[in-house]
Amino acid sequence: MLPAALVVAVELLGGTLASAGEPGWADRIEVDGWVEGARSVRIGSPHDALMSRLWGRLKLSADIGDVYGHVAVDAQQNWRVEDETGLDLHEAWVEYAADGWDVRVGRQVIIWGKADGVQITDIVSPPDYTEFITRDLEEIRLPVDAAKFRLLGDKIDVELIWIPVFKAAVLPSAGNPWAVEPEIPEEVRVTASSVEKPEVSLENSEIALKVSAFLSGLDVAASVFHTWDDNPAMHRTITGDDEGEVEIHFSPKHHRMTVFGLEFSRPLADFVFRGEVAYYLGRFFEPQSITGNPLEKNALQWLGGVDWTPGNDWSVIAQLTGTAVVDHESEMAVEKHAMSATLHVSKKLMRQTLTLSNMLYYDVREQDFFDRIKTEYAVTDDLHLLAGVDVFGGSGGSFGRYRDNSQVWVKAKYNF
Amino acid sequence: MLVAVVLFTAGLDVLHADQKPMTGREVMVLEEERPDGDDRTSVLKMTLINKRGSRRVREISSYSKDYGKDKKSVMVFDRPADVKGTAFLSWEYDDPSREDDKWLYMPAMKKVRRISGASKNEYFMGSDFTYDDMGDRNVDEDSHKLLGEESVDGHLCWKVESVPIDPDDMYTRKVIWVSRDMHMVLKAEYYDKDGLLKVYRVLDFDRVGGFWTQRHSEMENVVRKHRTVMEFSAIQYDTGLEDGLFKVSSIQRGRVR
Repeated sequence: MLPAALVVAVELLGGTLASAGEPGWADRIEVDGWVEGARSVRIGSPHDALMSRLWGRLKLSADIGDVYGHVAVDAQQNWRVEDETGLDLHEAWVEYAADGWDVRVGRQVIIWGKADGVQITDIVSPPDYTEFITRDLEEIRLPVDAAKFRLLGDKIDVELIWIPVFKAAVLPSAGNPWAVEPEIPEEVRVTASSVEKPEVSLENSEIALKVSAFLSGLDVAASVFHTWDDNPAMHRTITGDDEGEVEIHFSPKHHRMTVFGLEFSRPLADFVFRGEVAYYLGRFFEPQSITGNPLEKNALQWLGGVDWTPGNDWSVIAQLTGTAVVDHESEMAVEKHAMSATLHVSKKLMRQTLTLSNMLYYDVREQDFFDRIKTEYAVTDDLHLLAGVDVFGGSGGSFGRYRDNSQVWVKAKYNF
Repeated sequence: MLVAVVLFTAGLDVLHADQKPMTGREVMVLEEERPDGDDRTSVLKMTLINKRGSRRVREISSYSKDYGKDKKSVMVFDRPADVKGTAFLSWEYDDPSREDDKWLYMPAMKKVRRISGASKNEYFMGSDFTYDDMGDRNVDEDSHKLLGEESVDGHLCWKVESVPIDPDDMYTRKVIWVSRDMHMVLKAEYYDKDGLLKVYRVLDFDRVGGFWTQRHSEMENVVRKHRTVMEFSAIQYDTGLEDGLFKVSSIQRGRVR
């Protein structure tokens, strides 16, 4: 429906402009995109491929004066996660830009926040964790069907987003090497209902408001987002029989929550200091025990970071992030205070045709980590070859659980 | 300003200063303050040529507007494909004690990032121009000495030696030839601690909209045998560029219009 609306809008406006003697279609339409092939091998036994795919994105844009339309279609052949194979409408939106305001309607990716590789206030577009966080960030973002209206002042912008159709995060499903299987005792039988998602209705819409100021030497923004949790809470119903067998029935359900956000960034000499805070009202947290139930709490997520650009094509980004749960209870799976750190170092060489980088995620409490070492070489401006190693370490936590998924990988990407 | 990416111009009505001896600083002030309209638009094609002759091409649409002595600029990368749509917004202040404001929009990330103003000594997109070579450099960031007069391609020029005040600057000195008639830099030599590093030459210029304007120039790194050729097209002055173009919200849109 969205592409059809886009085509109609483009046709109508195009006809109007053509009659006014404006430039022809060839000057107004742009086609570009990329194709990439990627394959990885698990470092440990059985040395199988954790990633094996061919992925392309075709982007079509039409610029008709104050109106601009954009469609991006993905095609993927995935030999490792077969559900990913197929065509997908990644984006399809129409934008109208006037003096002092603009509006964009349709399927779109909306990115908030100041962080690097971490999402604190950036929760409008849900994540796709099909391959955990081993994909590039642009491949992790899922679009939402939304209307985004902005009032553009001299130094202050106001952004209002309406998302009528809820979209959940994509989590790796059974058979995917990135799926997390819960540890279930032998005497426990598990059944599950399908995920309960909010129905499409006006009252189930998601609404976001953000006010941003771009000042000399300081960017600052405040936001409120009345949303649904992208991840369902796994509610349990426990039944037992006389012989000691226990049945746990999972009823996954997405819940309403409201998130207040603050973000800033401030340059100073070679540095840019950045911070984000998100206060979640009514977020459900999983229990430690498989027989427990999710608990609804308020929580604060925060991030502080610094970008350092020392020159000579070096870049260093260091960040600390944390979560604090209000009225924490001991049966919760998360700690009362959790903290993790990231360190991203990159260096460009050979006239910026070769980039070496290292991105480290480290969980301070669990002492587990994910480290991505990457090299990218521009064979030509359009053809880039990439190779890297993803190392997961530690015994548990978000990263350590994937310690058997450490992999080496190669990728070729062609931009056109 | 030595090599402004936006445009080079020279006013026609600047008083000739040959009735009295000029200082190096006065020459550079003449060069910096020559009229170039209130706003300007151009397309820059940058060709990087290595010692084997292989070429890489970058294409950039450029817009700038004066706000008193300050300037706001937007550059949008049209080529190569992997950086297409990347936009760079800067608010440059004449006051050297005030740090410029800079933002970068990356289409892959779909967001604008604040970047530090201190990357002036880094090379621009793998070319032979640093960000500092391409931007506005305040006259008082260097000390200037008039060395004399010389002809460059038949144009009589003041020859000025400029030494950076900052001892950590990547250049130890520059020698600059400024046309006496047009007040335009026609040639410059860049020296580092090892000697001559780069030579800049204007190869073609013309009068556009009443302003002398560079159309074709090159920067050659004589040590690495690498050069960058710059060609300007679609040059326009005083088209009344809107203030909204130079806001973060404009580059955030993913297209500049």
